[in-house]
Amino acid sequence: MLAATGLVLVSATPALAYPPVETVHTERVQAGPYGITVGFSVWPLRAMQSLDFTFTPDDGITGKRGTVTMTGPDGHAHRTRMARHPRKREVWGMDTVALPAEGGWKFTFAVEGPAGRGEGVTKDIQVLPQPGPPMALSWSIGTIPLWALIALLAVAWRRTRGIVPEGV
Amino acid sequence: MTVADGALPIRGRAPASARATTAPRGWVPAYVVLLGAAFSLSAASWDIQWHIDVGPDTFFTLPHLFLYAGSALSGLASLAVVLMTTAAKRGDREVDAAVGGRAVRVFGGTFAAPLGYLVAGTGSAGFLLYGLFDLWWHSLYGFDAVIASPPHIGLLLSITLSMVGAVMVFAAAGEHSWGRIGVVLALTVMLAFSLVAAQGLEEFEGGVIDAITVGITFLTTLVLFTAVGFLRNVRLVLGFGVVFALLQGLLWWFSPWATRAYAVAVDLPMRDYVMGAPLVPSQMPMSLLVAAALTWGIMRFAGRAGRLAAPLGGFLVGALVTVCGLAQSALVYGYSIPPFGDLVPTIVLGAVLGALAGFLGRRFAVMLRAMRESR
Repeated sequence: MLAATGLVLVSATPALAYPPVETVHTERVQAGPYGITVGFSVWPLRAMQSLDFTFTPDDGITGKRGTVTMTGPDGHAHRTRMARHPRKREVWGMDTVALPAEGGWKFTFAVEGPAGRGEGVTKDIQVLPQPGPPMALSWSIGTIPLWALIALLAVAWRRTRGIVPEGV
Repeated sequence: MTVADGALPIRGRAPASARATTAPRGWVPAYVVLLGAAFSLSAASWDIQWHIDVGPDTFFTLPHLFLYAGSALSGLASLAVVLMTTAAKRGDREVDAAVGGRAVRVFGGTFAAPLGYLVAGTGSAGFLLYGLFDLWWHSLYGFDAVIASPPHIGLLLSITLSMVGAVMVFAAAGEHSWGRIGVVLALTVMLAFSLVAAQGLEEFEGGVIDAITVGITFLTTLVLFTAVGFLRNVRLVLGFGVVFALLQGLLWWFSPWATRAYAVAVDLPMRDYVMGAPLVPSQMPMSLLVAAALTWGIMRFAGRAGRLAAPLGGFLVGALVTVCGLAQSALVYGYSIPPFGDLVPTIVLGAVLGALAGFLGRRFAVMLRAMRESR
């Protein structure tokens, strides 16, 4: 196991040179005094398909802090503190994040910085239907071990039905 | 796969010629299966923490290696026992039912598989197949880094199935001390894994019920009543609580440590806002030792009136585990406890499902005892 661990550490290092964050589409938002470029590594967006988001204020992130609120088509909102993108540390962003539902999404930015506080909202960002099979089918496949376990327990229950449990 | 009629353990004893002769050596494959599962559990906790604290993913990460290697180890040990049992059957030699339980016919009699190892091996094989499903999933959806996806839940349920097999393997050797201790250890790993799978209940979050907490309560209570009914020994029952707490402490230290060390090794930064508490051990109930003592006390006091005591006791234990779970979440993640009125639906449902778990756990203990008493 130790040898295998060492081998992987040595051989996997090139594979772990994670690719840079590519931006293939951008949107602009004006949050009070701050202009922000919202970058997407995949376009068009599809429900459940993860991508890298970048949020870049015009004059950089130094001395600023803020939040981004993602509001889905059903009105459900999720607010997150702005954090540096793990693979692009000079801007804010999010990695391995997927928008779960198709429809129109809005990103609301609240930024505090040297020029005071500002808020801004993107126009509706359209998310297309999820790719792949229906989720019901995927979940049916994913829960097969559970149904197998229930079947096993049911058979065992039937075979041991006559046994009266003893006290402890 | 077909299972021969009468293959599952039933009451009564087989002739002496069919009984244990190799049980003392049976501990080797049993503990290899357990070791593999323990590797996978540590790796799962590490992998989850990696995604939370660092982020990016490829197939070739060290936690993935341990995750799949652990499952492969369990699977290979199970396969070895199945092949040896098949060879023994074909050679008309005695098969020791203390090694994994009674042998059942698989694929029309092509193989003879001790029931415990059949379940454990099937779980391990399922894990590797769900690994392929996961690879395909990520090629379609990207690296979404969530627990509650169909392939991830399939992976976790497969390991849980594998651990159910391990519990059966040790239960079949319950007359030996290594078998009883093995049951304690296997139940610990099985419960820990199933609690990770319970994260899939996140799909049902958002209403008045804290679905994950209720799921954790049900599984914890179920395992506790099974453990008490099978072990029938206060030291082993409390030992289960202690071992579970030790595992929780170990993962609490290991997961963030391994994550940081690995991030340094591959030159990746930690995220700006790193979670204070590691996810997997944070979800493990800290109340388990107390709940184990309460379960023991209730069932001991009830004696032969367990039929009524199990659901009633399960109700109490379920309520206790739910309340402690809600308090634990607030404590660990540093938020204030919501008003009591908001928690009532979750506590009531936790207690009701605890009652069901108490009823089921008492029956499951009977099934486990039948693993050894049917020989």
